[in-house]
Amino acid sequence: MQTLVSTGLIGISLGTQYAMIAIGFTLIFGIMGVINFMHGGGYVLGGYLAYTLANIVGLPFWLAVLGAAAGTAIIGYVIEVLFVDKYVDDHTASMLITLGIYMIMTTGIIVIFGPEPVSGFRFPIRGSLRGYGFYIPYSSMVVLAVSSLAIAAMYWMIYRTRYGIALRAMADDRKCATAQGIRPGRMFPIAFALAMALAGLTGALVTPILSLEPNLGEGQLLKAFIVVILGGLGSVGGATIAAFLVGMIEACSSVYLGGSRGALVLFLVVLLILLVRPAGLLGRETRRA
Amino acid sequence: MNDHARSSSMKLRVENLTKRFGGLQVFQNISFDVEPGRVVGVIGPNGAGKTTLINVICGMLSPSGGKVWLGDTDISGKPFHITSRLGLLRSFQQTNTFRAASVEENLHRARLFSRERPGPEVNLDVLLEEFGLDRHLDDRSDSLPYGQQKMLGLLLALAPKPKFLLLDEPAAGLERKERTRVDRFVQYARDTLGCAAVIVEHDMDLVRRLCPHILVLEAGRLLAEGTPADVLSRQEVMDAYLGADAE
Amino acid sequence: MTPKRVRDFRFDSCGLIVLAPLLAAPFATANPLYFSLTNQIVVGVIASLAVYIMLRMNLLSFTVPTFMAVGGYTAAMISTHGVTNLLVLLAGAFVMPVLIAVPLGVLVLRLKGVYFIFFTFILNEVTQVMLFETPDLTGGSNGISGIPPVTFFGIPLGQQNYLVLVTVITGIVAAAATLAVTQRFRAEFAAIDENETLAESVGVAVWKYRTIGFVASAGVAGLGGFAIVNQLSTAHPSEFTSFSAINYVAYAFVGGKGTMLGSVVGATLLILMSNYFSSQGAYASALFGLLLMSVVMAAPGGIVGEIRQFFEKRSQARRGSAK
Repeated sequence: MQTLVSTGLIGISLGTQYAMIAIGFTLIFGIMGVINFMHGGGYVLGGYLAYTLANIVGLPFWLAVLGAAAGTAIIGYVIEVLFVDKYVDDHTASMLITLGIYMIMTTGIIVIFGPEPVSGFRFPIRGSLRGYGFYIPYSSMVVLAVSSLAIAAMYWMIYRTRYGIALRAMADDRKCATAQGIRPGRMFPIAFALAMALAGLTGALVTPILSLEPNLGEGQLLKAFIVVILGGLGSVGGATIAAFLVGMIEACSSVYLGGSRGALVLFLVVLLILLVRPAGLLGRETRRA
Repeated sequence: MNDHARSSSMKLRVENLTKRFGGLQVFQNISFDVEPGRVVGVIGPNGAGKTTLINVICGMLSPSGGKVWLGDTDISGKPFHITSRLGLLRSFQQTNTFRAASVEENLHRARLFSRERPGPEVNLDVLLEEFGLDRHLDDRSDSLPYGQQKMLGLLLALAPKPKFLLLDEPAAGLERKERTRVDRFVQYARDTLGCAAVIVEHDMDLVRRLCPHILVLEAGRLLAEGTPADVLSRQEVMDAYLGADAE
Repeated sequence: MTPKRVRDFRFDSCGLIVLAPLLAAPFATANPLYFSLTNQIVVGVIASLAVYIMLRMNLLSFTVPTFMAVGGYTAAMISTHGVTNLLVLLAGAFVMPVLIAVPLGVLVLRLKGVYFIFFTFILNEVTQVMLFETPDLTGGSNGISGIPPVTFFGIPLGQQNYLVLVTVITGIVAAAATLAVTQRFRAEFAAIDENETLAESVGVAVWKYRTIGFVASAGVAGLGGFAIVNQLSTAHPSEFTSFSAINYVAYAFVGGKGTMLGSVVGATLLILMSNYFSSQGAYASALFGLLLMSVVMAAPGGIVGEIRQFFEKRSQARRGSAK
């Protein structure tokens, strides 16, 4: 019984993390038709920024996390304006460019911080909540709470604010939206920055719990792919549902099956779902370039 | 009319064709026949479902109900490339060519996949010259002016030796003086291949000139059918167009 | 003026012809560095040719490492079970991926553009997991080692320079296969690449040619896997990571995605570069990234493509002024 509860909690926790990253990724694709191959890099960037701010500059952890998210947002904004903006809707070009940026960024991190995992970067709250035979680390609870808040904030923004409505209009029919006066030149960088900020926030929160090293981006990107394919590219709701699905499957299979078999199970599930619904669970037709 | 047409009893028959997208009924119970060598016009206000009708007949979309026959063959819902191979070709409203390829390469490709169809290759030199494309055989198709790209698009539908052509607004975007080229094209198709044509158009003069028989589509229904003189004078047809510019 | 398709063919055959002199390498030198470079470059060429085949239809496929693994491990298994004839191994390394690619292609090619890309990317991770999780078949995390040298009708080809010879031969076979497929289906692939709807409209069965390209790409990749496994006398999962898929794509794009010659040039250049920077491995990565970005943003035809365009524009201008 306790394993079930623990597994469930792990699954939910993973789910929120994956949701944070996948939502950003799918947002960028849905609105701009850009495949952001450096999205995993946002996670890594967030981690290293938080590490720098917390351990080197000496800020309190929470400030460091906020700073990391902000920093990732700014970097995302700049990258969009300089490199990505011209290649909106061009899947291959945007993918290769962001890939190139990711490679350069990773090299930069290795040069500055070295290739080894960072030591001494830890989550400030230790210990765990124990009860009725299960236990959950406080850190996981905090991450879960913050992530849920961030996701809720994203939803609120997308569905309740004028800005969010503008974003959704851009995603639905860009020509129409632009004709109405919505300016892609302002929307795109902000959307990109926001998506990266989510990834950065996740990185800042999770890397002190798990580990922080330069090559984590690939793994995160891979997870994002899986979640986003499952949920349907361009669908925020789909990404959220799929993220929790993936989180749960991963938690269950790592607890009950062990090791990398879990990855196989995940993949088989994705494959099966894609056979039935080639556009993902809630996917819409991919953007025509 | 040449031997092809006389010997073949093949006609294009559309039977109770219906198309829905989710809850949206685009057209329903459309039926008509096209005899070999005939030219049929399809007119109607925007949104009447004309382009979708073509999309369904040629196989780009599958019908929600009804059938399409090419001679004795039921082609309803058959994949697009199969209907092409059977001799049902279409042109597109927007310019549609192999962008980066030259005019010559475009035509070369269009012919490649119809080699197994009976009959000699269609000689398009006459039309190429009349449309001014013979001077641009080596130029990229997307470097040509709009009108010429449109004409190339028509020629690409003719190169595979069609028996039936579905032309989606062939004159759209053409200047006044270029529009008679469409006439020339349809006439050439009829004369050399015995090819029939279904022409969706907004240009009423062109329709009157070319189509001895027209169908009027409105809000997804067949509103009227007959000769141009007959149909275009009917009250309900004029009402359907009220507000829309019938040129 | 020769049609573009003839000019394309010339560039493509250059890609094949350029490899021929490498046959002399094993006999011209004994320098292990040259051997290592030749091995690496030829494998890179094969892999990026596999990418190239799909790029002919504007499909970006990250499947290459997976099929390389299939080809490599198949050859390894055949060898360790006693059959070491070069021709048999080449055939096995080509055919096995082809057999797997057919049903896989049916499933995967239905996916629309972007999903297809993501899926093929994930596929490599799955391959890794499957290699690790089947130790009885594949040796798991140890791989298959101690593979006996390839023989050519009884003549063992185990010495250093002969290993290189086998690699070069494999490369030439792979390039010939690529040339054959891309020439035979040139018009169909190009039609699908430039305007898929129109292609269908003139009678091209798009699904069929996508599958042909996918399967051919798999076979060629399999040959690359064999080359790797032969060089190292070992088949190990670390040679077939998903990240290497990115490298192969980079070779094809940087060299020029329009011709086979581009893949050859791209692989050669980038591999030489990463060897030059091998002591500071990370810098090679950054340079890759920079090159990739530069090509996409400023030189979309890649090295070969841009050079070619430059010369064609010049001769067009000359013809224009002569008219």
